[in-house]
Amino acid sequence: MSIRTFLYRSVAALLLATGAPAGAVLFAPSAAGPARAQSPEPSKLGNLASFRIIAADGRALLDKTDLADAKARLKDLETAWDEAEAGLKPRAAADWHVLDKAIDRALTAVRAASPDPGACRSAVDEVVATIDRFAGRT
Amino acid sequence: MDSFGEHTVLSRSKVPEVTLAFWTIKIMSTTVGETGADYLAVHAGLGTAVTDVITLAFLAAALTLQMRVPRYVPWIYWLTVVLISVVGTQITDALTDGLGVSLYVSTSVFAAALAATFAAWFASEGTLSIHSIVTSRREAFYWTAILFTFALGTAAGDLATEAVGLGFNLGVVIFGALIAIVTAAYYLGANAVACFWIGYILTRPLGASLGDLLSQSREYGGLGLGSIYTSLGFLTVIIGLVALLTARDRTTTKLRA
Repeated sequence: MSIRTFLYRSVAALLLATGAPAGAVLFAPSAAGPARAQSPEPSKLGNLASFRIIAADGRALLDKTDLADAKARLKDLETAWDEAEAGLKPRAAADWHVLDKAIDRALTAVRAASPDPGACRSAVDEVVATIDRFAGRT
Repeated sequence: MDSFGEHTVLSRSKVPEVTLAFWTIKIMSTTVGETGADYLAVHAGLGTAVTDVITLAFLAAALTLQMRVPRYVPWIYWLTVVLISVVGTQITDALTDGLGVSLYVSTSVFAAALAATFAAWFASEGTLSIHSIVTSRREAFYWTAILFTFALGTAAGDLATEAVGLGFNLGVVIFGALIAIVTAAYYLGANAVACFWIGYILTRPLGASLGDLLSQSREYGGLGLGSIYTSLGFLTVIIGLVALLTARDRTTTKLRA
């Protein structure tokens, strides 16, 4: 999606949203203004920082070879990601699927019958790297 | 929309009159069904496959009960609708996420399947009226059509999100407007059966968008109630309405007896 289409879409969505009965609370500032201005090339999916924090937590736990806690933390990621689907996916469906698949692979790796520590680490690394790529940090 | 029911006098129909309560329960059951399946799959950690088997078993039980009872019993009927809503959604999800079928393909296939169901129904019964669901065969057509409307509504709604980035804010407005048009057409004398089924399909994405609007966090433009509270709220309304319908149904039955 080009920048122009994205802007048109955002403006149209914003116009419609503010016209809706629930207009007052639709589109929090983070989606429209300040948060975006800080980051040089923000993800079309918006602010993914909260997901990155959970994934990085999981990664740290894997380093401590604490698989049970890492699994629990990654389940938090799964739950949070799943809960936000309806909000995030319409922003950039293709990007959403890329990250969704990465999270799926990480979950599959840690939930394997006999998990391979190396595979777990690289799968979670990929989640963090994907988020960073979308955020324009790499 | 009460006058949907005016067209025929119900005698022994196995399905309810189409009233405002009918549409309210129908729209809300979409959200409850989707959250319920999601809760089992993700929060309860059962995974998609196990959840699919569980809901399918529940649907089989509810549908058997619904087909066996001699008359319309509100809680059995609406339990069947909620479970069909879940399974219809799961079929689409399994095709999309599990088998990687394109949403363009699944939307077309479900539209064709629904059209084929109506064609077979009409060829067999000479009517598609929902006011004369008086035989098992008609009831089988009725539930098959309902299953495909949910699958089609899910696929079409997801396609709108994937292809053109339609979010739930705009979704509520668009699907709401389309339903308003169908309602207006109905009151202006358009074919009642056609209006009913088009409305039935459109209320699936409307229900999903409405549920998302309430449940999604404010960061994404929702009201931030969360999916659990939204579903519990909707479930309360559904149970209240079904209880009301049951009470009313008992009074009518007594009067008739």
